[in-house]
Amino acid sequence: MSKAAPAPVPLDPVTGAPAAIRYEGVRKAFGEHEVLRGLDLVVPRGKITFIIGRSGTGKSVTLKHIMGLLRPDAGHIWVGAEELTGMHDRALRRVRERFGFVFQHAALFDSMTVFENVEFPLVEHARLGARQRAEKVNTLLAAVGMSHAAEKYPSELSGGMRKRAGLARALVRDPEFLLYDEPTTGLDPVLAAAMDQLILDTQRARPELTSLVISHDMAAVFRCADKVAFLVDGVVKYEGNPETFRAIDDPLVQQFVTGSLEGPMKV
Amino acid sequence: MIVRGVEWLGSWVVAPVEDLGRAMRILGLGLLDLFRRPLRVRLTLGQIEFIGIQSLPIILLSSAFTGAVFTYESFEAFAYFGAEGLVGGTVGVAITRELAPTLTGLLVAGRAGSAMAAELGSMRVSEQIDALDAMAVDPINYLVKPRLLASLISVPLLTAVFDAVGIFGSYVVGVYVLHLSPPEYLVRLQDWVDWEDIWAGLAKSIVFGLVIGVVACYKGYYTDGGAAGVGRATTSSVVVASVTILVANYFIALLLPSPI
Repeated sequence: MSKAAPAPVPLDPVTGAPAAIRYEGVRKAFGEHEVLRGLDLVVPRGKITFIIGRSGTGKSVTLKHIMGLLRPDAGHIWVGAEELTGMHDRALRRVRERFGFVFQHAALFDSMTVFENVEFPLVEHARLGARQRAEKVNTLLAAVGMSHAAEKYPSELSGGMRKRAGLARALVRDPEFLLYDEPTTGLDPVLAAAMDQLILDTQRARPELTSLVISHDMAAVFRCADKVAFLVDGVVKYEGNPETFRAIDDPLVQQFVTGSLEGPMKV
Repeated sequence: MIVRGVEWLGSWVVAPVEDLGRAMRILGLGLLDLFRRPLRVRLTLGQIEFIGIQSLPIILLSSAFTGAVFTYESFEAFAYFGAEGLVGGTVGVAITRELAPTLTGLLVAGRAGSAMAAELGSMRVSEQIDALDAMAVDPINYLVKPRLLASLISVPLLTAVFDAVGIFGSYVVGVYVLHLSPPEYLVRLQDWVDWEDIWAGLAKSIVFGLVIGVVACYKGYYTDGGAAGVGRATTSSVVVASVTILVANYFIALLLPSPI
């Protein structure tokens, strides 16, 4: 009996790259409040995709669904060829091993130093000796400019330093997918630009890496994004590359891009 | 009006059932995980150090004074009937069967249970538990199992310490303050306190250790609502664990053989 040929990988209409992650008709409600209302989105492989939108439109909820930290009420989510909906906890954990996640506030473990935080995923999952682990951690800390703070605890770090340590921890197991939850929120413009540069450098150093960034920082979008998806009321209203997105003639988009108080979005 | 009334009534029913479900989930998953790898030996030893060894000073102090005051008060009552010699045996049974497990449980719930709930609660609100999940590390295995196991091991050991030091405190007050004859005190103690009494107290303490671990873990693990939520989880873990210990104490006493 011949084996069925695998289904062809769909291409992302914006970048032309093959889909790495796909959402199809994803719905999620918390109580009576429906946050995602049939979300369809393709995240292209090897590119940086930004999901943007106002606070409360479901950006973080979208991100947490990919990791299985939240389960959809309806719809499907594919990571590569694996469908996450209905997947058992143990299988989900195996999928999560392919991801790195940079949390909004870094979510570093308070009881560990920066070095120990970055080393933690290797201690848990990788069969490496202490010396190999230390080499890898030190290389990454140098790459994010945190070598000098390796022995500090999270409470001794500034917001920017925490985010860089969080990025190093997310990268330490060479993930296929890197997810960022508001990486520049709370940083001053210079630090935010440095973080954007770090995102770009990380992507350039790993061309196979698929990055998905949740943000409402338009400067970061125009600096880093290969693809932008604009989320409104739990669905993707527009998607495109940064240039086409900037040119969209919709007062909603223009108000968001310019940050104007005048427009259809009410504060 | 009627709808609001039903909603209000419903919330009174749903919230405790939801709470109980969460506690049972933590208990079930935690106990199942005891036999799963990784075993988390280092983390468990760390928790035993925190729950057990660091609780020793308050257990030593409390047990010595509990034995002392119980002896002092009961001496007055026994003297009324001219039966002062019974003090040693009575205090011994009371300490081993009731006071040691119950007071140790309440003290550990207040000191270590609250700290465990606060630690897990702050890890929840600062997304550190989500970070474990995101790194494909099972939070039940990494956080809950070591705390449950440490609580199960530490509370019976502290109860045994309470037994010994409580009786010692009683002896000191009985012999050196109330001038009871040492041989009489010890003979009565030996006559009245059986191994059965000691085992009964230790059996209770195992249940109390489990109660403290489960309540602290589920209150901390399911914390929401930021810093205020951590405060609520901490307070609630002490209240729920303490009340559960006192209620469970009665029902376990019914199941255990009578002291007489």
